[in-house]
Formats: sequence, C-alpha cells, structure tokens
Amino acid sequence: MNAWLTQHAQALNLVLRRFKTNKLSTLLICLAIGVTLALPSIMYAVLNSVSGLANNVKSESQLSIFLASDHDENAVASIKSALDANANIKTFKYVPKEDALSQLQAADANNEVLNSLENNPLPDAFFVEPSKLDTDSIENLKNDLSKLDGVKEVIVDGAWIKRLNYLLLIGKKAMLILTVLLAFALVAVIGNTVRMQIVTQQAEIELSRLIGATKSFIRRPFLYAGGLYGLIGGLFALLITFGVIAFFNQSLTPLVAEYQTDFSLSQPNLITCGLTCLLALALGLASAYLAVSKSLFKANQ
Amino acid sequence: MITFDNVTKRYPGSHEALTQVSFAINQGELVYVTGHSGAGKSTLLKLMAAIERPTTGTVLINNQNVSKLKESTLPYIRRKFGLVFQDHKLLYDRNCYHNVALPLAINGITGHEAGKRIRAALDKVGLLNKEKAMPITLSGGEQQRLAIARAVVSRPSILIADEPTGNLDRNYAEDIIKLFSAFQQVGVTVIIATHDALGNANYENKVLHLNQGKLVNVELAT
Repeated sequence: MNAWLTQHAQALNLVLRRFKTNKLSTLLICLAIGVTLALPSIMYAVLNSVSGLANNVKSESQLSIFLASDHDENAVASIKSALDANANIKTFKYVPKEDALSQLQAADANNEVLNSLENNPLPDAFFVEPSKLDTDSIENLKNDLSKLDGVKEVIVDGAWIKRLNYLLLIGKKAMLILTVLLAFALVAVIGNTVRMQIVTQQAEIELSRLIGATKSFIRRPFLYAGGLYGLIGGLFALLITFGVIAFFNQSLTPLVAEYQTDFSLSQPNLITCGLTCLLALALGLASAYLAVSKSLFKANQ
Repeated sequence: MITFDNVTKRYPGSHEALTQVSFAINQGELVYVTGHSGAGKSTLLKLMAAIERPTTGTVLINNQNVSKLKESTLPYIRRKFGLVFQDHKLLYDRNCYHNVALPLAINGITGHEAGKRIRAALDKVGLLNKEKAMPITLSGGEQQRLAIARAVVSRPSILIADEPTGNLDRNYAEDIIKLFSAFQQVGVTVIIATHDALGNANYENKVLHLNQGKLVNVELAT
C-alpha cells in the first residue's frame, strides 16, 4: 500500500514539475480544453433555464371550452357536473356570454363598435385549468371535453409551449451531438499533447525500460498528465461558463423587466459542475491511455 | 550466476549475431568480453541483462530461464543489473543528482533514503561536488563516471559495462577499470565488454573472446 502510494505520489510530483517548467504551454492546452468544454456547458445552462421557464408557463396553461350559441338550457349544468367529476381538472370557471361582453366593454376602449352590435356574438365559455400539465394528458382532456353535449370548440391556450418544447428537444439533441463531437476533438487534442510529451521523453522512457521500469511505471506520469489536463480544462470550462452566464444575465435583466418577470439564466449547480469536471477528467485519462499504449506498443517491436 | 547454454541470437532480417555460445559466470567474478566491433559483444551483454531473449538455447540468470519468463516479469530481472551503456544514455534535461535518481525511482525509493544513496554513489565515482551540474557540462570521463554512479546506485549484484573505456585516454581508462575492480572486491559480479581490455587489464580475470558471433575461448588473461 505504502509503495503503491509512493509510486503515485512520485508520478504526480514528476508531472507537476513538468507542468511548472512548461507553464505557458500547459496553460494554453488547458485553456483550449476549457473553451471546448465551455461550449456545451453554456448551451446546457441556457437550455436548462429556458426549459425551466417553459415549465413555469405551462402551469398557467388552460383550456377554453366554447359552447354552441344555440345550446339548450341544461347543457351548462351537465357540463358543469362533468367537469366536477373529471379528476384531470384542477379548477374551472364558467363565464356566461353577458359577463364576457361586459368584460370586453370594460377592457376595450372602442365601445362604439360593441354598442353597434345588435346581439351578443360571444359564446358562453368555461375556462379549465388541468391538473396534469404534460402534452399527452392535455391532449386527452381536450378530446374528452370536445365530446360533451353543447360544446362547440375546445382550445388549448399556449399551444406555442408545445412548439417551444419541441424546439427545446431539438436544442437538447443538438447539444448532445455537439458534446460527442467535441469529446472526440478533446481526445485528439489531449492525445496529441501527451504523444508530443512522449516524444520529448523518449530517451528517458527507453533508458527506464532498459534498467527495469515496468510498463505501468512509464505509463503512470502520462496518465496523470492527461487526467490533469482534463481536470484543469474542466475547471476552466466552468469558469468560462459562469462568466458568460453572468455577462448575459446582466443584459437580460432590463429586457425581462419589460415583461414583468424575473427570468435569468441559471448558473450550473454543484452536480453539473462535478459532472463536467468528472467528464473532463475521464476524457483526459482515456486519451492519455490511448496515446501511451500506442507508443509503448510501438517501442516494444 | 549467469549461465549460457548453446545460445544463438539472430535478429530478424540479419545474420546470426551470436552462434552457439556456452559459458558460465560465477558470483563475484570480473569478466571481460572482448572482440572486434560487430563480433557480438553488445548482443551478449543484452542477453545477459535480459534486454534481449535468445533465438535458441537457454540463458539462466540466478537459475531463472529468461526465455521462459513472462514479458511482465522481465523488468524485475533487469533491476538486478547495473548497466553502463556504450553511449552512456545520460539524460541531458536534468542534473547529475536526478540522473542517478532514476533507477531508485524505478525501484520505488525516494526521499531521504534516495538522497543518501545517490550521494554515496556520486561520492564513490568522485562526482559528489558535481551533484547540481548538468551532464552536458561534464568531461567525457566524468560522464562515464556519472553513468557508473547511476548503474551502482541501486546496489545491483551484477554490473555490466559496454565499452566503458572506449573514448577515454589511458589514464582515465585505468581509473575506470580500477573503479570496477573496487566493486568486484566488495562482491559484485562485474562484466566489461571492451575491444582493447587486454591492453590494460593486467589482472587475472576470465575473458570471453568473441569472433564473428562465436566464442573463441574462455581463458584467464595473462
């Protein structure tokens, strides 16, 4: 155990010394990794915030049931009892056409047009707030309500949310693809850097093999280097993400104030930060492992 | 300690570097391997140090058959040897101290214990005052001695040197040979390959003389 720890401390120490002697190039490589990782990270934060916003709006979504203008007397009562019985409905409100007209008159300044009407063109209406908010149950509810007697039309308010959700889905897929592609780029960048280091350390590697170093002894410092590149790059990526989001939020504040909401892009939480670093570390390790295994294998022939 | 039995080594696409070589080296001996360049001296040393494996025949090191050992155990066999290479193989990106530190690092020895051993090894070859110097600033003889310090720092039981006096003038060469004799006197088996060892080796030692890959005779130098 002690020997094992010593070996690892030794490798880490060696890598840190090498980093220290090549400060600038190490910094640049880590920055490159950081920028690469920051792209999907920022995208994730934006998508997350927007879909949070979409979820909020959705809870305000409702269905409007418009009754036929020639519905019979009992229709209103029977619909009321049907709505009462429906478990998928949270609350509902009945607005008869007279109330609707007076509301319109109160809200609209152009009363002349309204007054010139001979009879009330507005239908009686129910406004329903569903208890389940996902697209499928709203769709089902709409179908059920359409079948009720005296109902002319059921309109789902906020159909745009559905569209937004589809857009968000596309955005998330795009992010996934971007992440995978950039991961490949990272493996190439880190692998290449480690391979360059192997070339510069070739004399030491050859000598070490001759005087009895095991493969893992030779591989270990390079794995540490790759892992550290990844980890430091991941931290850079988080820094960039936090910076960019804070910068955007600054400009967003006056804009969303116009809409009387307090929307802002949310910074990545602890779990997201941890996962980003972990992913970066794993990518670094994997690419270093690939690079070293390949070069050691070649040295063997 | 080291036994060769009918050892032949053929490199792919090349002639036989060694043909049916048999001999035995006992613990504490000082053995010269002589012959012209290309006679197979370096190949013989590589086979002894488990860097190469024989094409046919058996090489026994401490009663372990090198050909039958797994690839992954070879590094541990190699650690029994102290190697002085023909081209020194010093690392020019670090100072003398860290050059000597490498074999200890491979053996997992670091810190205070390593420092003690490194200074002892440098002291033995007379380079203690050059601890911080870069190898490139050393003279040819000093570089050779640094290579020897690196070979002995992990206290190997067998010391193998390939042409350790090759590029040195006579006085330096004698110093180096004396240094190796000193190691032999404390019980280390020393094997030295040289093309002109017989010129300055006035000791009663075993000589393995190679000619075109064949062992000509195993004799004591006169």
